[in-house]
Amino acid sequence: MRGSSFGYLIKVGVRSVFKNRLMSFASIGVLTACMLLIGSAGMLSLNVNSIVGYVEDQNEVVVFADDNLDEDELQNLDLDLHSMDNIRDIQFISREQTLEEFNEKSEEGLGFEEGDNPFPNAFRLSVDDLSRLSETVTKLQGLEGVIEVNAPTDIASTIVSVKQAVYIGGSSIVLILAIVALIIIANTIKITVFNRRKEINIMKFVGATDTFIKLPFFVEGMVLGLLAASLAFFILWGGYEYLVTWMDGNQSALFMMFKDQIIPFESIALMMYGAFAAGGVLIGVGGSMIFVRKYLRV
Amino acid sequence: MVVYWFIMINFTDVKKVYPSGTHALNGITLRIEKGEFVFIVGASGAGKSTLIKMLLREEVPSSGLVEVNGYNLNKMRRRQIPYFRRSLGVVFQDFRLIPTMNVYENVAFALRVTNVANRDIKRRVPYILSLVGLVHKAKSMPEQLSGGEQQRVALARALVNNPQLIIADEPTGNIDPELSFEIVDLLNEINKVGTTVVMVTHEHDLVQQFQRRVITIEQGRVLSDTAALGGF
Repeated sequence: MRGSSFGYLIKVGVRSVFKNRLMSFASIGVLTACMLLIGSAGMLSLNVNSIVGYVEDQNEVVVFADDNLDEDELQNLDLDLHSMDNIRDIQFISREQTLEEFNEKSEEGLGFEEGDNPFPNAFRLSVDDLSRLSETVTKLQGLEGVIEVNAPTDIASTIVSVKQAVYIGGSSIVLILAIVALIIIANTIKITVFNRRKEINIMKFVGATDTFIKLPFFVEGMVLGLLAASLAFFILWGGYEYLVTWMDGNQSALFMMFKDQIIPFESIALMMYGAFAAGGVLIGVGGSMIFVRKYLRV
Repeated sequence: MVVYWFIMINFTDVKKVYPSGTHALNGITLRIEKGEFVFIVGASGAGKSTLIKMLLREEVPSSGLVEVNGYNLNKMRRRQIPYFRRSLGVVFQDFRLIPTMNVYENVAFALRVTNVANRDIKRRVPYILSLVGLVHKAKSMPEQLSGGEQQRVALARALVNNPQLIIADEPTGNIDPELSFEIVDLLNEINKVGTTVVMVTHEHDLVQQFQRRVITIEQGRVLSDTAALGGF
């Protein structure tokens, strides 16, 4: 194909977007609406995940050591803890330290004397994966020199359930919306191409090759996809910023508690635009190509 | 079968049965030489449309041989079809102009598909439009033209590639009788410079006025093939 022909076909494709403005408007509208729905569901899911993740990170497990352990044995226990997986932020709290903290917090006269220290030596630590908390606690209990393990197993199982629900719910919503969007978009593109079947037919009779006919549709699909992606991206960005500012202004207790966990749009903007653009172009171009093919068999 | 250089169209015992079971052509044998002007006439359902579809390689015969302009259409591969069609000029009853392109672009499109350079398009299109008397309507959109004008644009598009064969499928079917004469007269002029013209029509008056070869089709067969005055 000649360079001038290639340039001409690209020009025709871009011009087609404006010439068939009604159908272009419909295609862009449908694509944008679908991307907005999917994007919103995605943003909600990401934020809930971030908040749940934050709560998850706050977990604390306390491992109490046997009073009879000498310094070497305590060191061995420390080494054992460090060699275990799913564990981080291990901190040794001596019985003296605990007594001091307790006495500081206790009312005058209710504290313990140093000789009557009832507290054992302990290790404070966090687990990486809360869903494996029970398994990790069992392992901790099995270590030599450990007398007791305190772990937030009930809260952990709730958080794990919430996290799973968010993941499954979010993915399902995005998946269902994506399928609905695909069906609507496919029909919109189908109507667009159907309206121009005569045009395709004429092109075939004057000797146009399939590539010659398809290229403008390819360009058109790409332009429509990119326009819809850009529109959806900026609306989502604006809407998200507005919502965050509004909630910040409202100073609700829940929002203030998790304010730092709200994902800034800028941090995922590039990824979001990339996903929108890829999705838009893929659907625009793919859809056009599939439906144009049907009318090329003349 | 030997195809002679002077043969433009060769149908040998061509039969066409559609999947529905309709027998559209029942053994058509005909030859049209280069430079001829031939009317193909026949009642509705006689097989004229199928014949045209065969000529354009829109349909392939169930049996028999179809050769057009040296191409064996039976053996033609799908990707060769566009190149074959570029050697023809086609005019349809419903004009088939691209509604989103103006007159100039509609005609130029036939050149663009053959990768003709822009400077040649700029030279050739106005010339062809002047031949059909529509140079002043170059920027008009098809919807702004009358039926006769639209058909002249379609004719210009068919001519712009200098085809050796023009196939006109009821080109006067959608236009006024006085303009019909004008269109056939244009085809007649084109034929005088050596282009083969095959025109399907059911307008007896036109056929009688132009006194050309007439092939009559009936029930998928050639009923008569006459070289001169009217009589069908």
